[in-house]
Amino acid sequence: MNVDLPAGTRNYSYAKDMAIFRTKTHWAWLLVALVFLFTGPLYWGEHWLSVANLIGITLIAVTGLNILTGYCGQLSIGHAGFIAVGAYTAAVLTNRLELPFLVGLISAGIIAGLIGMLFGIPSLRVKGFYLAISTIAAQFIIIFAINHWTSVTGGFMGISVPPASIGGITFISQGSQFYLIMAITAIVIFLAKNLARTRVGRAFVAIRDNDLAAEVMGVNLFRYKLLAFFIGCFLAGIAGSLFAHWIGFMNAENFTFMDSILYIGMMIIGGLGSTVGPILGVIFIRMLQQGMTFISPVLENTFSSLPAGFTTGIGPMVFGLIIVLFLILEPRGLAHRWSLFKASYRLWPFSY
Amino acid sequence: MNLKSPLKIAMALCLTLALVVIPLLGSGCASVPEETTLKVGFSICYTGPAAEKGRPMGDAKLDCMKYINEELGGVNGYPIEVIWRDNEYDAAKAATIVNELISKLCLLFTTNSSKMMQASAEIANRNEFPGFAVFSTPALTNPPRHIYAQMPDYGDDWAAFANYYLENIWQGTGTPKMAMHLLNNTTGYGARDAAMVLADEMGIEIVAIEEHTTTTISEIESLTRIRALNPDVLYISSTPQPTSIIVKNAVELGMYPGITIGCGHASFTKVLVDLAGADAEGVYGVFPTVSWGDDVPAMAKMTEYCQQYHPDDYGNMDYITCWAEALIVAEILRLAIENVGVDNLTPQAVEEYGFKKLDNFDVGGLHGPVSYTPGDNRLSKSVRVFEVQDGEITPISGWVEAPLIPYEFD
Repeated sequence: MNVDLPAGTRNYSYAKDMAIFRTKTHWAWLLVALVFLFTGPLYWGEHWLSVANLIGITLIAVTGLNILTGYCGQLSIGHAGFIAVGAYTAAVLTNRLELPFLVGLISAGIIAGLIGMLFGIPSLRVKGFYLAISTIAAQFIIIFAINHWTSVTGGFMGISVPPASIGGITFISQGSQFYLIMAITAIVIFLAKNLARTRVGRAFVAIRDNDLAAEVMGVNLFRYKLLAFFIGCFLAGIAGSLFAHWIGFMNAENFTFMDSILYIGMMIIGGLGSTVGPILGVIFIRMLQQGMTFISPVLENTFSSLPAGFTTGIGPMVFGLIIVLFLILEPRGLAHRWSLFKASYRLWPFSY
Repeated sequence: MNLKSPLKIAMALCLTLALVVIPLLGSGCASVPEETTLKVGFSICYTGPAAEKGRPMGDAKLDCMKYINEELGGVNGYPIEVIWRDNEYDAAKAATIVNELISKLCLLFTTNSSKMMQASAEIANRNEFPGFAVFSTPALTNPPRHIYAQMPDYGDDWAAFANYYLENIWQGTGTPKMAMHLLNNTTGYGARDAAMVLADEMGIEIVAIEEHTTTTISEIESLTRIRALNPDVLYISSTPQPTSIIVKNAVELGMYPGITIGCGHASFTKVLVDLAGADAEGVYGVFPTVSWGDDVPAMAKMTEYCQQYHPDDYGNMDYITCWAEALIVAEILRLAIENVGVDNLTPQAVEEYGFKKLDNFDVGGLHGPVSYTPGDNRLSKSVRVFEVQDGEITPISGWVEAPLIPYEFD
């Protein structure tokens, strides 16, 4: 039974029971959200559209990480490396080989997925902290390879990436890229939501909760762990490809170890193992970053007696503080707060 | 939802701030008519891994803008409105910042570093939004589009040093052997690219190319490999801290003194001398600006502002660089206003009638003259050669113009 349904709503078929949008209110909210989202380019400026594009790209990457870590319990601290694989695959295919954007996009996902599987092989023997270390190795090995495979990747000098183009439509402006990125993001979220409810998704959760018990029940650990790495890194590759076309120039310095940490932070703040968690976590952190860029100059101008550089240090401090606050006060993340809010909304005006 | 705990209330407030107030801030509240200002954008790495260089550079730009607005009355009577953002040395953030500067109708923008300009360049080029980087890699201006380099790039450093070495230091016969120790990014590899293009032509044999990271703590191993090849000169293109480690390791291995050591401009600052101490004595380097205390017209005012507003930056060469940058911004705007009038200023007009009209502009003597040459987006093309003498970075040459190197990038 779907516990998220309002009182009095009953499911009389499996199809209704499986539906993501079950009530008319759900559909109405979906419609409002879609209208708000896809009319955004009409009233958001280039800046906020670029922020939205960055949020969309990050969301795809963090959704992949959430499948790998949040659902399947395989901690990866090298996600930026897998994004780099996708970004460079797309850059090389569309720049050097002049292949179409869509070929680059799908190839980016597949290559990143395969590389992810390669680094996921140790997951059968090691887990937790040890697996985390092996994925850190992935981050450094991938970046080293990119920097030194100069004939293909351009090495330290980088490689330019043409704008995305589909069927004669070239996505140059932030507004046009917004539609492309958001459409792909919506598809990814929809697939991730459904994946979690399939046999594969349940196997992932079983492995996360207790891999020994899962194996006893007949879950093939090797297969499903590698599948989780493939899916998680496939989405990282897709995000990398979109990032490459969005920013237009690839340099391996764009994919740092700190980015990998940031993605984990987004996942923790949003809430592990839920579809809505990455959405809330990514939006929260990216907006927080934007907020800090606005606040620093304002504070600098207002309080001239502050020591030099003080206000610009506020951003990193606030980021660290918020992660600590979430870990202490709400380790289940914003997704849990969101479900509490929904529950209280459904029961209003009654408290219980 | 139980929100009785003060900490939870604080969290809720943080959420509200982040999700509601911040977009409102961005939407702007400028409904009141304002006087005509000249908007320029600065993308500064005030925090993050490059803050060591970014902070004094940012301070200098803002101090100089204050000077231009308050003492010179702006440019042709119009105040410069600075929109500056901390990019945290993060490419994704730099990309959103350049979009913001475009949407806020800035006339031009600048960044400190080549990495941040690389992250911004394609978006700027697609929008024909002109900008320049203080420190730059050759790939930014080759081929030349809408991005310019304030000073000679890391490749030019190598070319200028190599030329000086051949003419003034090399005493042997035949071809001198050079080893290169490069930071593992564009700072290091910009120099390598120049060496690949010019070394044979100049008569220098490159015998080794080693690389290091910004966080290196020992280069004994790589220097041992270099020592086995018996080079005449070691060229380091890096930042101050790794360079100081390489110099000290070279002394420990007995390589130096004995060979010549030369450095690119990204490392050749007071910080290098402070870190390497006596081991840095006799090390050569190139730098595109004068030193603190030199007798040039802009020195007095720059020193006054630095000591008044950011005394910690005094002695830092990066401050000089970016004070000069702000003067160039003002000159570009002045030229554009004089050519097309303030009412017709657009980024395209500023590029065409500002950037491209620069002709031997003197930045108060702080660095070489600034000119635009068609096909060459480097604005200043000159460096000077320095040597560490008695713990001081001492100039030993006049301005040396670096030739345009025929790179072939993707």
